[in-house]
Amino acid sequence: MNDMTRREAEITATAIKISARNAQVYYGDNHAIKDVDVDIHDRMVTAFIGPSGCGKSTFLRCLNRMNDTIPSCRVEGRITLDGEDIYDKRVDPVQLRAKVGMVFQKPNPFPKSIFDNVAYGPRIHGLTRSKAELDEVVETSLRRAALWKEVKDRLHQPGTGLSGGQQQRLCIARAIATSPEVLLMDEPCSALDPIATAQVEELIDELRAQFSVVIVTHSMQQAARVSQRTAFFHLGNLVEFGETTQIFTKPRDPRTESYITGRIG
Amino acid sequence: MTDATAEFVPGRRSLLTVDDRTRRRNAAEARFRLYGLAAVTVALIALALLLVSIFANGVSAFRQTYVAIPVTLDAAKLDKSGKLDPAVMAKVTTVGYAPLLTKGLQAAMEENGISDQGLKAKAIGALISQDAAAQLRNMVLADPTLVGQTISFEALASGRIDGYFKGRVTMESAKLDSNVSPEQLALADALKEADILHSRFNMGFITAPDASEQRPEAAGLGVAILGSLYMMIVVLVLSLPIGVAASIYLEEFAPKNRFTDLIEVNISNLAAVPSIVYGILGLAIFINFAGLPQSAPIVGGLVLTLMTLPRIIIPARAALKAVPPSIRDAALGVGASKMQSVFHHVLPLAAPGILTGMIIGLAQALGETAPLLLIGMVAFVREYPGAPPEGFFDPASALPVQVYNWTQRADPAFVERAGGAIIVLLIFLVTMNAAAILLRRRFERRW
Repeated sequence: MNDMTRREAEITATAIKISARNAQVYYGDNHAIKDVDVDIHDRMVTAFIGPSGCGKSTFLRCLNRMNDTIPSCRVEGRITLDGEDIYDKRVDPVQLRAKVGMVFQKPNPFPKSIFDNVAYGPRIHGLTRSKAELDEVVETSLRRAALWKEVKDRLHQPGTGLSGGQQQRLCIARAIATSPEVLLMDEPCSALDPIATAQVEELIDELRAQFSVVIVTHSMQQAARVSQRTAFFHLGNLVEFGETTQIFTKPRDPRTESYITGRIG
Repeated sequence: MTDATAEFVPGRRSLLTVDDRTRRRNAAEARFRLYGLAAVTVALIALALLLVSIFANGVSAFRQTYVAIPVTLDAAKLDKSGKLDPAVMAKVTTVGYAPLLTKGLQAAMEENGISDQGLKAKAIGALISQDAAAQLRNMVLADPTLVGQTISFEALASGRIDGYFKGRVTMESAKLDSNVSPEQLALADALKEADILHSRFNMGFITAPDASEQRPEAAGLGVAILGSLYMMIVVLVLSLPIGVAASIYLEEFAPKNRFTDLIEVNISNLAAVPSIVYGILGLAIFINFAGLPQSAPIVGGLVLTLMTLPRIIIPARAALKAVPPSIRDAALGVGASKMQSVFHHVLPLAAPGILTGMIIGLAQALGETAPLLLIGMVAFVREYPGAPPEGFFDPASALPVQVYNWTQRADPAFVERAGGAIIVLLIFLVTMNAAAILLRRRFERRW
């Protein structure tokens, strides 16, 4: 927050990674997301905020086509990753998800060892050629997720035996092990205590150096702390989208102002 | 309600006194506990009675009375050519061997100074099972060099003599029985005294094939156990892959539409179809249409597979459904394909449940009788089925059918046999269920 000038310089400097134009999402007859236009910049944290049920998670799940698993869900409009339409018929969602990783609200490590949790992505995508290389990827991912020191002596113990905050960092390590270009985080701290939250937030800030991060959060303080740009959703509409400082200090829309001051939501 | 309003007095009630309403609620709870306890007690008593009656009837089938006697294998009678030619020797039937056993018994009686109670040779020979002559004949044909020697032979005692020592036959019942006389029983007592007649564990009950009405003492479960084993192999090999694949497809991949709803309803219905209906189906399709042999374990296995499949698919689907969706999301989130997420993560987590369902389905199939009656497994089979895979097409029996078969026979000795067969069947079932529990414990994981 203090070196505002550097941040603003960054914002203008980075390229647009994901761009959504006129995006619509329907669950059966229910129009859940209406006319959303968003640009997600590379190497930057974008936060989606809004009251419960406003569609921010739904929209996040559109960005790596996780909504495909819900049969009644239908997406319209154009969402592009590096200029390529991700809803194009030729796009295999599996390949897309390797580029756009995801961390979920509830820590969901596989009931396998810590090592296998992190190694799973590289293994299925054939990213490593040897065991040594795989070891290295696992170590780097765990280091970047700030978990290495805590687990290096128990890599072959089950990941489900870790504490909640450690599990969530393990999930982040698992997501970054496949070297995605974008990392989607769906309320990653909602199940964590304040200390674990602080660790994960610090981590997000570091991850910004390599990835474009999109985070859905209920906590406005968190959005203010970690993000450079913020989008405010309300009842399926994108109400306001802009730089975080501007959203929280000089919101243009009265609904945004009511939400951040706690009057709606 | 009206009373309550009339008596309602505002003001604080002491916690130390119990009001009427609380007392009534507590009484209702106490009554409910009592009902539950009573139900469990009744069930336990029924189970205990069942086990006691089965064991009381059946345990004695595992012990059998034998007569140990020296038998002189007279070369003049058994090998007329004197050249030990198997073809010539095979012409001597069991009728030729039976007198040798009688002579052996008489010799043993003489040696121990046991009086013949005024019985004729034929009546003395009747103490020995008719099956013993056949066993002796097989022994000689297998090893022709025995001819001319005197061997010590342990012959099965006849069913009535065996029954006498097990308390089934008494002096009083023997008076009315055309198959045994009190004198024969007295002779048996004397032989027992001299230790010519003894009783020991009866391995033949597990290994021997079924025997005819006249020789219950020789009847065994060998063919039935083999037949049941072959059928279980067929059921396992077919229903495990088909059942698991069907449940994975229906639960994870199939689109939810009217057609899959219909399939779902039908699977539930099929699980409730009486098993004999599957027998009719098997008879029509596998025997009449496909032309597979009757009484064969392959047909029994196919019929039982049809019957077991819905009973495997339902618990397998429940086990798959119980895997938390967050695991699927996690796998998809790192870019696993649907199939990878299922096979790497969902299936291993569902495996204990699937295995339990599988084993319970197999145990049900093992105990199933009705469909097997219709496809001819009820036939009297004395020949062991061959080694797999040809053996699957040979006639065989099955454990539950053998129980059914034996309970139909007149000689009370078969009641004891049936009880013994039930014990064997129960041991198999308990073992399988224990395996199911162990597998569950072993592979169950927490998430």
